[in-house]
Amino acid sequence: MIRPLFSLGGLAVASVLLALSLGSVNVGAPDLWQVIQGQGSALNSTLILDLRLPRTLAAFATGGLLAVAGALMQVLLRNPLADPYVLGLSGGAAVGALLAMLAGLGTLLVSGSAFAGAMLATMLVFGIAHGTGSWTPSRLLLTGVVVAAGWGAVITLMLAITPSYKLPGMLYWLMGDVSYARTPWPAMAVLVLALLLTMPVARNLNVLARGPLQAAALGVSVRPLEWTIYLFASLLTATAVTTAGSIGFVGLIVPHMLRLVLGNDQRIILPASALAGGTLLVLADTLARTVIAPEQLPVGVITALLGVPMFLYLLHRSR
Amino acid sequence: MSVLGTRELIINIPGRPDGSALDLSIEPGQVWGVLGPNGAGKTTLIHTLAGLLPARAGQVMLNGTSLKELKRREIARQLGLVFQERQDSFPATVMETALIGRHPWLSPWEHEQGEDQARANQALAALDVAQLSERLLNTLSGGERQRVAIATLMTQNPEIWLLDEPTNHLDLHHQVKVMSLLRDQASAGKAVFLCVHDLNLAARWCSHVLLLYTSGDACWGPVENMLVPDALEKLYNQRLTTVEVDGSLLFVPTV
Amino acid sequence: MTLGSESGDNWNTSREINVSKRIYRTNIWPLLAVVVFACLALISREGSAELCAPDDLKANVCLDQPARKIVALSPGATELLYSAGAGDQVVAVVEYSDYPPAAQKLPSVGSNTRIDMEALLALDPDLVVTWVTGNPPAQVELLQDLGLTTFAIEPRTFEGVSSAIERLSTLAGTEPLGFAEAGRFRAGMTELSEQYRNAGPVSVFYQVWEQPLMTINNDHLIGKVIQLCGGVNVFGAMPNLVPRISAEAVLKADPGAILAGSVDGDSNDQLEHWKRYPGLDAVAGNNLFYVPSALISRPTPRLLEAARLVCEKLDIARDHD
Repeated sequence: MIRPLFSLGGLAVASVLLALSLGSVNVGAPDLWQVIQGQGSALNSTLILDLRLPRTLAAFATGGLLAVAGALMQVLLRNPLADPYVLGLSGGAAVGALLAMLAGLGTLLVSGSAFAGAMLATMLVFGIAHGTGSWTPSRLLLTGVVVAAGWGAVITLMLAITPSYKLPGMLYWLMGDVSYARTPWPAMAVLVLALLLTMPVARNLNVLARGPLQAAALGVSVRPLEWTIYLFASLLTATAVTTAGSIGFVGLIVPHMLRLVLGNDQRIILPASALAGGTLLVLADTLARTVIAPEQLPVGVITALLGVPMFLYLLHRSR
Repeated sequence: MSVLGTRELIINIPGRPDGSALDLSIEPGQVWGVLGPNGAGKTTLIHTLAGLLPARAGQVMLNGTSLKELKRREIARQLGLVFQERQDSFPATVMETALIGRHPWLSPWEHEQGEDQARANQALAALDVAQLSERLLNTLSGGERQRVAIATLMTQNPEIWLLDEPTNHLDLHHQVKVMSLLRDQASAGKAVFLCVHDLNLAARWCSHVLLLYTSGDACWGPVENMLVPDALEKLYNQRLTTVEVDGSLLFVPTV
Repeated sequence: MTLGSESGDNWNTSREINVSKRIYRTNIWPLLAVVVFACLALISREGSAELCAPDDLKANVCLDQPARKIVALSPGATELLYSAGAGDQVVAVVEYSDYPPAAQKLPSVGSNTRIDMEALLALDPDLVVTWVTGNPPAQVELLQDLGLTTFAIEPRTFEGVSSAIERLSTLAGTEPLGFAEAGRFRAGMTELSEQYRNAGPVSVFYQVWEQPLMTINNDHLIGKVIQLCGGVNVFGAMPNLVPRISAEAVLKADPGAILAGSVDGDSNDQLEHWKRYPGLDAVAGNNLFYVPSALISRPTPRLLEAARLVCEKLDIARDHD
C-alpha cells in the first residue's frame, strides 16, 4: 500500500534534480554536485541556489498544495470534477491583491491581502450556502460558481477604473507565474503541515466519500469534519495562489489521475497528490523555462499540455 | 449486550400529526420488523433511532443513555445501519467497502490489520460476495451491492443492527439467506431492527413487529399478536387472504 | 521625473566640463544644487569616483566605472541605449528589440514580461536597464537581491526621452555622444513646436486598436505629439491613458482627421471601417492617415520623425478643410 508513495517520492526527487540541472545555462552533473557540496563557481552557485532551487521548490509546493486542495474539495463536494478554485477562491484572492495594489501597498502586504481575500471568499461562500438551513454539496457548488462569477466582474471593474500606471502590476499578478514566486518556504511549510494534519482524518474522508449519512453511521462527526476540510482546502489554495497565482489544472487532474491508478483511499491519495502535484508542476516549470529558452512560457500551458494526454491515457486504460 | 430503547418518541415527519409516541425496547436476541405503507415513516424511524435525524419529541436511549449525549463514534461501535440508498461518487472495491465498517474501531493513525481483514473476508463470504472482493462497486448488480452493504455492517459488528429494507433487490434465495443470517445474528446476541415490505418474510423471521400507519399511529408487540389480518388490512388499505402452508400462515392480497 | 529632466538641462549646458566638476557648475540655483549633491555624496558610500544618475523611479544609481555590459529589458531601452552611444556595451536585449538593426543580432533574455533570469545572470552584466511598468516587479526585485544594478526608465514626456538618453550615456561613459543625440532630439522637437505653435487646430482621433476600439489621452506620448502639431485630441481629457471607447463616441466627436499606426509589411485597412460613415468630417475630407507604428509607439528619438509625419498629415487635413 505504501509502495506507490515510494515510487512517487523517487519521481519527485528525480524531477527536482532534473529541474536543478536544466536551464538556459548548461550546468553539468559534476558542476551540480560541486555546488551541492558548496564548492561551485560563483555563477553556478547563484544559478542553482538563488534561481533554480527557490523556483523549483516553489513550483513543487504550489503543485502539491493545489493537488491536495483539489483532492479535499472533491471529497467534500462528493464530486470528482471539483477543483480548488471551484468555489471562487482565486477570485477573492485576486480582488484582495488588486485592492492592496490600488492602495499602493508593498509586495508582502499584497500577498497578505490576497490571502485574506481568499479566506473571505471562502467564508462568504460557506456562509451563503449555509443560509438558514443546512447546506448540501450541490448548494455549495452552485453558490461558489455564482460568487466566482461575481468576483470576476469585480476584477474587471477594478481593472477598468484603475489608473493606468498601476495596471501592469495588477495584470502581472493576475497572470501569475512560478517565476514570480519570491520564496518557497511559506508554501512548503503549509504543505508539510497540511499533510501532517490531514493524514489522521484521511480515513474519515474515505468514509465521508460514501456520503454524509453513511459517514455519520460509521462514527464520523460529519459537520465539523466538513468544515475543517473546507477551511483546510481553502487555506492550501490561498497559499498556492499567493505564491504563484492561479495555476489551473493541477488541482483537478492530479487527484483524479491518482484515483484512477491507486484507488480512492485518501490515506494514499493525499500524500500521493502532494508528491505527484509537486512533481508535475516542477516538470512543467522546467519545460516552461527551457523548451524555447530564452523565451519563457507560462507554466499553465505546460501543465495542460502534459496533463491532458496523461489523463486521457489513464482514463482510456482504466476501462 | 446493548439495548436500544425509545422514550415517548415521536418521529419528525413534516406536516404530520404526532400520532402515537413510541416506547420501544429492542433487546438482544430480538428481530424487529417494521411494516407500513409507503410514506409511513419507516426510513425516518430508522434514521431517528440511529440519531441521524432529530426527533420531534422524546428520546432514543442506548443502554439507558440518550443518544444526544453520546459521540458518533461511541454510537457507531454499538449501532450500525444499512441504508436503503447509497451514494458512490468515487469508485471503490468491494473489499474497501467492507473494510469501511472497521472505521469506528480504529484510531486515527491505525490501519486495518489482519483481524479486520479476516472479519471483512468472513462477512463477504457469509453473503456470497467474497469472489467479488476486488471488483468495483459500480460494476455490481443491485442485489450484489445490497449484500455488500450488509457485509459492511457485519464487518462493523455492532450490537444493534438497523436495516432499511435489507431484502431489496435480492433474489429469493438470497432473501432467505439474508433473513436467516439476521436471525442467527440475533440468536448470537445482536438486536436486529429492520423495515420490510414483505409480510410473509416478517411473519417467518421476525420475533417482534411494529406496525406504522400513515397517520402516525403505531402498534407493536410479539409477531404472533400483531400479524392478524384485520390490522394488516387496515395498515395497507388492502384486503388479504390468509392461507396456511406447512403449518405457517401466509398473507396474499385479495384482488 | 522632474529631478531627471532638470538635471538633464543643467548637464546639457555644461557638457564640455569634466564629469565630477560639472555637477557643481550649474547655471540655475547653484546653491541649491550644491546642497543637494553634497547630501547625495554624504549618503553614498564613496562619493568620489562614481558615475551617478537618477532613474525614473527617482533612485540614484551609481557605478564605479562606466558600464561595460548592459542588458536592456525593453525594446525602448535598447533603442535609447543605442541613441546614447552605448550600443557597443549592450550584451543582451528582450524580444521585439528590432531597432536599430544591430540590436537584432544580440542575444535575447526572453520577453519583457518573462525574463530568463539564468541567461541574464550568465552574462554577468554590470547594468540592467529595466522598464518601470513593463517588467514583472518580482523579477526586478530578484535581480536587485542578487546584487545587480538596475536602472528603471520609462519616459513619459519628450524631455524625458532626452533626459533618459543623457542619463544612460552618463552611466555608460558615452556622454559626448548621448548628450549630442539628446540635444538633436530636443532641438528638433522644439523647432517643430515653434513651427506649429500658431497652426490652426485640427480635431484628431488616434486609433490605437480597431477591435476593441482604443485610443490615447493627452498624457500619452502620442497625444503629446498630436498636441505638438496643433492637433486637438478629441479624447484627450479621458482619465485613462489608453481608453476603450465606442464607435458612437467617435461619431459624436466627429474628428477632422483620424490617425492609426501602420505596421511594415501589413496592409493598412484598420481605418477602412470608418468609410461606412461618409458624414464623418475625417471621411468626407479624406483625412484617414497612417503613421508607421514603429516610429510613434516607443519613447525614443524616432518620435521626432514620427512627429514630423504627424504634423505633415495634419497639414494635409488643414488643406482639405
